[in-house]
Formats: sequence, structure tokens, C-alpha cells
Amino acid sequence: MTLLELENVGLVFSVRCQGRISLKEYVIRGLLGRAKRNRMEVRALEDINLRLCAGDRLGIIGPNGAGKSTLLKLLAGVYPPTCGQRRVYGRISSLFDITLGFEPDATGWENIAFRSYLQGETPRTVRQRMAAIAEFSELGEFLNMPVRYYSTGMTVRLGFSIATAIEPDILIIDEVLAAGDLAFQAKARQRIQSLISAANAVVLVSHDLASLQALCNRALWMEHGRIRADGPPKQVIDAYVQHTTSSAASGASRQAA
Amino acid sequence: MTTYLSDIWRLRYFWLSLVRNDLRSRYRRSVIGIGWSLLHPVAMTAVLCTVFSQLFRADVYSYAPFLLAGLLTWNFITSAAVQGCQCFFLGETYIKQCPTPLAIYPLRTVLGAAVHFCLGLSVLLVMVWLFHGFSNLPALPSLLVALPLLFVFAWAVATCAGLVNVMFQDTQHLTEVGLQIVFYLTPIIYPPEMLRMRRLAWLVDFNPIAAMLDMLRLPICEARIAPLESFAVAAAATTAVVVCAAALLARAQQRLIFYL
Repeated sequence: MTLLELENVGLVFSVRCQGRISLKEYVIRGLLGRAKRNRMEVRALEDINLRLCAGDRLGIIGPNGAGKSTLLKLLAGVYPPTCGQRRVYGRISSLFDITLGFEPDATGWENIAFRSYLQGETPRTVRQRMAAIAEFSELGEFLNMPVRYYSTGMTVRLGFSIATAIEPDILIIDEVLAAGDLAFQAKARQRIQSLISAANAVVLVSHDLASLQALCNRALWMEHGRIRADGPPKQVIDAYVQHTTSSAASGASRQAA
Repeated sequence: MTTYLSDIWRLRYFWLSLVRNDLRSRYRRSVIGIGWSLLHPVAMTAVLCTVFSQLFRADVYSYAPFLLAGLLTWNFITSAAVQGCQCFFLGETYIKQCPTPLAIYPLRTVLGAAVHFCLGLSVLLVMVWLFHGFSNLPALPSLLVALPLLFVFAWAVATCAGLVNVMFQDTQHLTEVGLQIVFYLTPIIYPPEMLRMRRLAWLVDFNPIAAMLDMLRLPICEARIAPLESFAVAAAATTAVVVCAAALLARAQQRLIFYL
């Protein structure tokens, strides 16, 4: 069963070279007829073809700036594709930047409610889930405290507990698991595995290759906004590691020479 | 269009809880709580009443409600425009996390302002009933048209202000300057007749805010329903701003994320 499909998707960021301009500036330039378009185009993603099926545990790897996080945001629907098609056949829950999506002055409990409402829940369904989310996060008394005072690890616990509690069809996680402590990482791994058994799909970005290999049954290697390899995790990760070390070695030898 | 509105409705618990959170965190550590929001218009009314009753020999019992009604409405519209400028930055964390209909963020701002406005309105009504008795009751049902119109107007203004401000960050500053000018051109602290007598009637007749003021002020303070022209001008202005907001939203829904 296909849950999410990308067909020939590309994403171009159009970035202003001089930062923002003011309205005054804009109007005056328009009046003087000097509306220079000082823009730079960044091709963040190109020719992405991806089909995500039920039971897929997809791990995305690649160097910095390869487009991993951009691809995740596009999968989640936050970035609209510049060209190509994105088709979704399921409910998506995402966890990107851990500091995102919390009202700092509200308590943990309140934030659980906000985030659940954002996913389209109602007070009745949230009340049923509250206890389970609180229990999984193991935050206990801290849930009565404003999220502003949480440590990074605590924020991750809360975010992960909420994002996985709504039993999404597709769970999208960006590089946040590493922030929890060992016990929580093990628990999170278990939760991801149990999501799979409920015939859902998970997409992860991580630089922790060992845990990716343990968690995923499929890996995607991104480079320069393109998919370089897509296949069984062991194979793709080995190729990626070999490529990276060999290019690092050649760089080092060039420097030495 | 209908799917857009139903999406907004589907997320009602989300934006309603954000509004509640905004109000709560704003008044969390203050003793008189939400009463602070009343302090500004009430204090302004008190000061201006004292001055103008001396200067123009105005009758305090009719001038005070007139002034309070004007200031409340004006404060509601300006806070929609000025706070609306920040609405998308305020909701940035959610916009970057999850696709939502963008109109819920200005809605959050305007609902917060509307709570303050309604609070002020109840103070105003009590004031009028104390001064003049309940003679205005038959005219009050016309507020059932006026208030929703004002609300939609403010929502659309906040949407436009917010979207333009994301593109050009000096919008808020310019809005504040512009509103300061409009404040003096609009019959808020002086009666509209003062402009009419001096051949400046067009300033009143074509000013949508003056029309909105009429719709609220006349039934409450003078116990009569505003003339149809006021409703027409207000409705026309609201339609214009709503169309503008919808056009901007349609463009922004796909692009806003790249500017945040």
C-alpha cells in the first residue's frame, strides 16, 4: 500500500542576496523604475522520485547541505514542491526541530493539548491520550512547569511522545533522537518498531549510522539535492561510508602533497 | 473556499486554545488581570472628558459614552492592524512544523483583541444604562449585524498586514504612522457633525472607519439604528479588504514558508 509518493519533484529556493528590503525601498525603487531583481536561485532538490509504502522504515543519510531536511519538510507538506507531484494517502505526524512547536510560557500539559489540536484532535480524544503521552514522556511533575525551563532532553521526550501518540500513518523525524538519554533512545526505538507493526511508515534523518542500520529497512543516500542511492540499509550505508572516507583520504593526501 | 473554511473550523480547538493561552500569559503575573486592558480606554475617556467638558462645554453624560465607544472601536481596529503584523512570526513554529490554513494566525490575533473589545463594550453599556436608562435597548439588535461585520473587517485587515509585514518588515512601523494620521481624520474624539459643518463631509462619508463607528455608536449612545449608508460603506470596505486578503492568502499559502 502506497502512503506517500513523490514524482519528479524539484524544489528551488529563491534567495534575496541582500537580505530583506523595506516597503519604503520597494516603493521608491518601483517609482524610479529600478526594480532590480537581485536574487539567487538554490536548487535544493532535483528529480526526486520516491514511493513510501506501508512498513517502510526509511533512513535518509548524506553530507550536510545534501537536502535531507528539505526533503523531510517537503514530505511533510511544509514546503510545496516547485515542480513535480506530491501525493499523500495517509495522516502525517512530524517532529523536526525540537524547539519548534512549543509555546514556551505554557506548561507541558498545555503544550500536549496544543500540539494534539494542531493535528486535528478534539478535546475528547486528547483527554484519552493525555495520560498515555505523559506516561511515555516520563516527565511526571515537570509537565506542570512551563516548557521554557525544560532541558533539551526533556523537550525531545515531550515532542517525541506527542508526535508518535496520534498513531500517524507516516511519522517523519529529523535528527532529534540523539538528544534523549540512553534509556529514552531505547524506548523511542521500541515505539518506532511498534509503529511499523501497525503497518505505518517512518522516515528518519540521522547521522548516527549504526542506529539507522538497526532501525531501518531501507536507506536513501542524498547528495547535492539528488537521490544517489536507494536500497537496503547495509548496502547503502556501506557505500556512503566508503565514498566519504575515500574522498576524505584523497583530500588529506592532496593536502599532504 | 469552503474546504479552506472547513479546514479552519476543523482546527478550531487549536486556535482557540492559543487565544486562551495568549490572554492567560499576558495577564499571568498581574493583580487586576485582564482589567488592565480596560485601563487605557477608560483613562483616556476620563482625561478627555475633563478637558473637553471645560474647553467645549460638552455635556459629560453624553460625551463620555460617545468617546469610550469611539476609542474602544478604534483600539480594536488598530490592534488588529498593528498586532496583525506579527501574527505569522508568532505562528512561525507551527507553520514550519505542519501545513495549516494560514488564516488561523491572524484569526488568533483578532480574537484576542475581540475579547478585550467585548469587555470594554460591556463597561460602555453599563455606563450608558447608568447615565440614560435602558432607552437604547430597541436599537441594540442592530449590533448583531455591526459586530460580525467589524470582526470580519478586522480579521481581513490583520491578514493583509501580517502578510505584507512578512515581505517588508517596516510595514508595522508605517502602519503605526498611518494609523496616527487616520486617528485625527476620523471622528473619534470629536463628533462627525464638526466635519460636516465645515464642508469636510467627504472625510466622514467615505471613511469606512467612521461608518463602523456610526454602526456601533448610534445604537448604543443615541438609541437609534445607524443609517443604511453607514452599513453600505462598512460592508463595501469589508468586502474590499476581504477580497484583498483572500488574494494575498492564495499567493502566500505556497510561498510564505520561504520568507519566515
